[in-house]
Amino acid sequence: MRSPHTKFYLDKLNAKWSGVCAGISDYTGIDVTVVRIGFVLSLFIIGPMAIFAYFLTSWLAPRKPIELYARNPEEQKFWQGVRANPRRTARDVRSRFRDLDRRLADVETYVTSSNNRLANEIEQLR
Amino acid sequence: METVFVMATLFIAFPIVLFHFITKWRSAATITTEDENLLDELHDLARRLDDRMVTIERIIQAENPGWRSVGQDPVEAVLEDRTSRGLRSDRVTELGRGNRPVGRNR
Repeated sequence: MRSPHTKFYLDKLNAKWSGVCAGISDYTGIDVTVVRIGFVLSLFIIGPMAIFAYFLTSWLAPRKPIELYARNPEEQKFWQGVRANPRRTARDVRSRFRDLDRRLADVETYVTSSNNRLANEIEQLR
Repeated sequence: METVFVMATLFIAFPIVLFHFITKWRSAATITTEDENLLDELHDLARRLDDRMVTIERIIQAENPGWRSVGQDPVEAVLEDRTSRGLRSDRVTELGRGNRPVGRNR
């Protein structure tokens, strides 16, 4: 059972004809024009097999559910990364958390040390 | 002889190559629905925390520029700022005095 975000779909919103090339482009992150040119070139190389594969895909693959269309391009890129290599994406997320931890530690150091300084000033005023 | 060869490539070699890649593709990218939801949630969480962190850093930056250096004293920093500002204004007036005659000569 494959999960909804890592499945192959026909991308009907960006489709020229039935959305196979747009689906490949959405799945892999390769530009849709490059995929289409590649498909046309493959027509010359393997001929009718490419057309057969195209119709088979457009017949078998489900169309993309409307709620999966990403609201921002950053989200789309994230899922393309997950499809290509989930392990690397997990490492990326971990490194983001580490970065956050480091920055939070900086802020903590600053806040605690300035509180200390304030306490010392008050002590001197007494 | 030739037709046999063509038939062999069409009906044996092609499916073998095809199914080889299909099995490879199926085994390569394995992520379960739970893992996917977890990853999605963590990614979202990281983004929200990042936003909050940026806000806090901006507030502190506005309060005290140069807060990143550890032993930095805000009071001293302000005093230093004043002295340097004074020096700078002195320099500006000096430069202004120095510049005036040059301007007249032109």
